[in-house]
Amino acid sequence: MTPRILIIAYGNPLRCDDGLAWHAAQKLSELNLPSDVEILTRHLLTPELALPVSQATTVLFIDATQTGVPGELASRLLIPQRQSSLFTHEFSPATILSVAQELYGKCPEAFSISLCGECFEHGETVSVKVGEGLPHLIALVGEFIQSTKQVTDRFAAA
Amino acid sequence: MSEKRTIVIDPVTRIEGHAKITLHLDEQGEVSDARFHVTQFRGFEKLCEGRPFTEMPSLMARICGICPVSHLIASAKACDALLAVRIPPTADKLRRIFNMAQIVQSHALSVFHLSSPDLLLGMDADPAKSNLWGVFERDPQLARDGIRLRQFGQQIIERLGGKRIHPAWVVPGGVSEPLSQSDRDAILGAIPEALAIAVRTLTWFKNTSEAFREEISSFGNFPSLFMGMVKDDRSLTFYDGKIRIGDSTGNIIADGLDATRYFDYLGEKVETWSYLKSAYYKPKGYPDGMYRVGPLARLNVVDRCGTERADQELAEFKELQRAAVLSSFHYHQARLIEILYCVERLEQLLNDPEILSKHVRAEAKPNALEGVGASEAPRGTLFHHYKIDEQGLVRWANLIIATGQNNLAMNRSVLQVAKHFVRGNQLLPGMLNRVEAVIRSYDPCLSCSTHAVGQMALRIQLVDPEGKIAAEVARP
Repeated sequence: MTPRILIIAYGNPLRCDDGLAWHAAQKLSELNLPSDVEILTRHLLTPELALPVSQATTVLFIDATQTGVPGELASRLLIPQRQSSLFTHEFSPATILSVAQELYGKCPEAFSISLCGECFEHGETVSVKVGEGLPHLIALVGEFIQSTKQVTDRFAAA
Repeated sequence: MSEKRTIVIDPVTRIEGHAKITLHLDEQGEVSDARFHVTQFRGFEKLCEGRPFTEMPSLMARICGICPVSHLIASAKACDALLAVRIPPTADKLRRIFNMAQIVQSHALSVFHLSSPDLLLGMDADPAKSNLWGVFERDPQLARDGIRLRQFGQQIIERLGGKRIHPAWVVPGGVSEPLSQSDRDAILGAIPEALAIAVRTLTWFKNTSEAFREEISSFGNFPSLFMGMVKDDRSLTFYDGKIRIGDSTGNIIADGLDATRYFDYLGEKVETWSYLKSAYYKPKGYPDGMYRVGPLARLNVVDRCGTERADQELAEFKELQRAAVLSSFHYHQARLIEILYCVERLEQLLNDPEILSKHVRAEAKPNALEGVGASEAPRGTLFHHYKIDEQGLVRWANLIIATGQNNLAMNRSVLQVAKHFVRGNQLLPGMLNRVEAVIRSYDPCLSCSTHAVGQMALRIQLVDPEGKIAAEVARP
């Protein structure tokens, strides 16, 4: 079954707060999420993600950021955009959307939720501030899934 | 005024790891010498000292994010030797499946993501467009095929190992979990599409390579030895077998060598200008014992692949040159044939009646204080060698990585390409791109071979006779 909502949680789980999305993915997987929600965890974004992204109705990227106040959440709507880098080791969410559009002719609605970290050293645990922010992130993702499903279900029924 | 100069290409792009290339020019601006420098260092052999041997497969898998499975396999085989156990037949087959999934995804990365801009857009393409975006625009089907084939390999790894990078499923004595019927069926269901992509890409490549005759004649096109592992019937294997070495005339000069006795016939030399050691075949000495490993070498030393379509392609491949296939440009075609073989072989193994057996691990305590594990990684033969104490703690480790075994040949290839294409008085991007492209044909994995922290990259330097750097090209 093609997932309608795709959550891509990415970061380095061996770099403390950079791995917060993996912790979020673990907590989300323990919830009773609708069957049409798929969660992928990745160390970084690569071109291969364009295929599942193109097959989704809505995509949510979860990541850590170094910009802002540690523990604070930020969300935004994403639009496809090519990156100019010659390297392909690190794609941005907007670039993944652009690849999906160019290769598969489909670009779903996409958003990102970022949680600002403060410790990016070696380690598998998150900082206190990120630990306090994770429940809010989970709650925000839950609201996002609920509201997205209401809209998509309404369109499916129409 | 004429003077000797040096060109530096730094970093080398579209490879895995950090490196730079230095080209030395004489007074007439002609290339007189060239070196491929690996500028990263890791030291995994030292990191593992004092750790329990049971941690080795997972720890060694951290050497690389591209081919962790290769290290898992070789490391686990070394640990099997420490346990002195024979792993269950199903575990053996599951490890083979795991390893071939890795070969498919790694080879697909090399062909589709790293080298396809050169092959599709040409060596003289605008450097700003000679990247994946250029491929997406020129041939979106090729790009989709690359993505799908990599996904095919990665999904097998994820299904078996639980995750696609650094899975801990391969353990001393076998594997930790059996294959489920649903996963087996799902993988089998994806085989026809993967097979179609492999065939389609080979056809595309063979048609495309006609346009690269000059590169074929100058990309590492020189005599060398070739080494690979073969089964008892001299067919292709990636998991277990005897070492076979052939020369440039196509003669087999060593056969049936015990991989666990690699130190009897392989030596390593350290050069001051690179962190990458250079391996050589001891009976021929250094540097005459230069040999190549990886897809080109494997197909040069096998009598056959062992699957129908791959054998047809192998027969055609062996006709490319009179004796052994010497040009390193042909690594690309060999890589694609190996993908085809792996997909065919995966189907055979997945249909094996034993494959769903629950008996997948042999339990034991250490029964030997020294163990060697060898297997074929995407880039060539891989050796892990450990010595432990009575408590099972690693006291010494040695890793012989494929890229190190190609180091001498890569350096000579850079020199050959630079001499053929580079004119120091008028440097053009296409000249330098060819110098990088010959390195890409080997698909070096520098993170593996220097056992490095950090990003990938390469640099080209132009050095004068006094050793001063006259020009340097560095990537942003």
